Amino acid sequence: MAGRRLWRSHSGCRAQGEPRSRGEGHARAADGTGRRVLVIDDERSIRLLCRVNLAASGMEVIEADNGRAGLELARKERPDLVLLDVMMPDVDGWAVARELAADETTRDIPVVFITARADPADRRLGVQLGGVGYLVKPFDPVAIAEVVEDVLARIERGEREQLRRDISSDPER
Amino acid sequence: MSTSEAQQAADRARRLQRVAERLAEAVTPEEVLDAILTEGVQAAEARAGAIGVVSADGKSVELLAQQGYDPAVMSGWGSFPLDADLPMSEVIRTGAALFISSLSERNELFPALAHQGQEGHAIVVVPLAVEGRTFGAMSLSFDEDIEFELERREMKMTLARQAAQALARSRIFEAEQRLRKRMTFLAEASELLASSLDYNRTLRQLARLCVPGLADWCAIDMLGPNGEIERLAVAHQDPEKVRWAHELQDRYPPDPDAPHGVPQVLRSGEPEFFPEISEEVLDEAVGDDLELRRIVEELGLRSSICVPLTTRGRTLGALTLIAAETHPLYTNAELELATELARRAGVAVDNARLYREAERGADAARALAYVADGVVLLDREGRVRHWNAAAAAITAVTEEEALGRPAREAVPGWETLAALVPLVPPGSAPRPVTLPLADTGRERWVAVTGVGFGQGTVYALQDVTEEYALEKTRSDFVATASHELRTPLAAVYGAVRTLRRTDVELSEDERTQFLEMIESEAMRLATIVDQILLTGQLDAGAVEIDATECDPAEIAAGVLESATTHIPEDISLALDPDGSPRIMCDENKLRQVLVNLVDNAVKYSPGGGRVEIRLRRELSNCLIEVVDDGLGIPSDERERIFEKFYRLDPQQRHGVGGSGLGLYICRELVERMDGQLTVESEPGRGSTFTVELPLRR
Repeated sequence: MAGRRLWRSHSGCRAQGEPRSRGEGHARAADGTGRRVLVIDDERSIRLLCRVNLAASGMEVIEADNGRAGLELARKERPDLVLLDVMMPDVDGWAVARELAADETTRDIPVVFITARADPADRRLGVQLGGVGYLVKPFDPVAIAEVVEDVLARIERGEREQLRRDISSDPER
Repeated sequence: MSTSEAQQAADRARRLQRVAERLAEAVTPEEVLDAILTEGVQAAEARAGAIGVVSADGKSVELLAQQGYDPAVMSGWGSFPLDADLPMSEVIRTGAALFISSLSERNELFPALAHQGQEGHAIVVVPLAVEGRTFGAMSLSFDEDIEFELERREMKMTLARQAAQALARSRIFEAEQRLRKRMTFLAEASELLASSLDYNRTLRQLARLCVPGLADWCAIDMLGPNGEIERLAVAHQDPEKVRWAHELQDRYPPDPDAPHGVPQVLRSGEPEFFPEISEEVLDEAVGDDLELRRIVEELGLRSSICVPLTTRGRTLGALTLIAAETHPLYTNAELELATELARRAGVAVDNARLYREAERGADAARALAYVADGVVLLDREGRVRHWNAAAAAITAVTEEEALGRPAREAVPGWETLAALVPLVPPGSAPRPVTLPLADTGRERWVAVTGVGFGQGTVYALQDVTEEYALEKTRSDFVATASHELRTPLAAVYGAVRTLRRTDVELSEDERTQFLEMIESEAMRLATIVDQILLTGQLDAGAVEIDATECDPAEIAAGVLESATTHIPEDISLALDPDGSPRIMCDENKLRQVLVNLVDNAVKYSPGGGRVEIRLRRELSNCLIEVVDDGLGIPSDERERIFEKFYRLDPQQRHGVGGSGLGLYICRELVERMDGQLTVESEPGRGSTFTVELPLRR
């Protein structure tokens, strides 16, 4: 069972990032350079995984280990994208997404959920709260930079709504 | 008039007087007949006499009695047609007396008798009439040929009038008597039938009541539910014969298709009456069975009546009356009586059955009132016919609100329910459909089955709210447990994926961090899996407690000893074994609890500090306190931390990840050892978890 879940999440990440098709993302390439990503997760290990792998693609990573700190950082630093955990004490990921969407200064920051919650209902809630990506743990951290890059590229192309539809239409992702 | 003639006339008058006196004393027809034929024949100076009356059907003449004739000669004259060319028939027909002086005159007048070869002389046949209606005739035979003079004729006519009146009177009396007897009998029978609802018993008593007054044999047969014939009762005065009849019934069970008797009556619902059982009927009934023939002959059946027990157009059984050794042949009067008796018996049986059915219905309703499942009966139109107490409780619709109304109107959400629940035919196993019930004021889940039969539908509603909640808890547990597993799994998998990257050069420090991550998160996974398994065992009551006498100080010391190997340097451990009483507990389970509490204490003391185990004795208990001076727990969360998957999550975390089950497991284990686990805390100042266990008894 665990093996199957691993495989699914892995392939899901890849599909969303479409990494290999463009033949990019292998090296410490310049394609991610300059991007600033905020990682909000109470799990130190998850933050570490994101930080190392995003940095490898030249991205700048800022971290918060709780929802409240994450919101503050988002407002202050205005990152290009937020990787957001859901199950956190006190202010959880849903609340963070809600507040980000409510705040004019943070409204347009794309939010990609990284969570252990695999329910279709949770996925739908993620879309409702404005999420443009939804990764279920365990995920492939190697592909995370490509996911970020892909999401940003598509948003720049005006495909935000298409991204959100993709989340809810494919519960396997 | 000569002296002798005068003397003779006086003699005749005296004789007539004596006859009149005898007749006046006679009450029953038998006494009257006897008086006429002894005194009357003698008074008429005749050799012999006979009296015949018109039969009930008016078609024949029945000879009631005779005196002076040779019985051999009289045999065959018991009954003869009213329209026959015979003296008595003619007298009854015409109402005029016949005075025949000699045999030759008789043979001349009645040629039919000429060949009978009887010796004889003068014959007088006088009509027996009352109020101008001739109902019979009396014949007198004389020893000599006589030319009857007027006076002698008058005398015979007077005798006939006296006899007729006496006979008519006695017959009316007898009829009255018979009627009274019948009324009494019917009254008695009715009383008997009404006396009990156990109609098997009353019908048996009824059969006994019929003998010997109405029959030598009486039998009652009932039609069973599958058309089988069941002999309910046989009565005869001789119990030995009753036994024999039962044996006979066993040996010759009734053939439902038999052309005569009980089967025929049960089939047709019409009575069967054999006033006189003829040889032909017997032959047909017996067939070639010699043994049966012997038996039937032994029975001496002479006359029989078989009437159906009917009610509301249905035949329930049959009543058989048989005249054999003592009872006279049956007439229409007995047939009428038997029919009336059977009618009353039929009504009684029907009443008893209806009552029993009603009672059964009431019993069923009583039983259903106490059944925990809702039972709903709808008629063909979907109207509620039965609505038991449980149905009312489950749906929050009272019986008064539901009865007689269409279910879809009376019960909110019924239409949805009926659409979702498939109806199965009677006898097949219905599959329950679990669904929520609308508008019951609170969340209700019911498992519903439906059976459709010819006259309607039965639904059974089982309240499965609790089971559903339990199931929900179980599936929530599985969902939450899988969440708990996903995070450490993500860390292990992610660390391995990252370490295997060839396009990125990781620093030595990063590599170490990832390897440590794999190690600690794998350990965390193992812990979570263990705790999930243990929780499942605790929930299933499958955790065995092996309580022995042990030293808590020793256990506490061991726990702290092993903790020293993996705690941060800024945490100090201490043990205060004050007194250290011995306790009864499962050593391994207590160790498990203390390891968990110490780990928690360390985990929630992120700024370092002191974690101490203190042992105290209080009354008959031993208190084991795990004390820290860490973050503490807000008061509103102090009980919730013992819930499954509840986690007080400080931002600071060390390698030992929580499953959210630790404190739940601790409390469960302590309680299973007859102890309790409580917590006191002041946020910012630390917490004290207290394990309270009974001392050694």
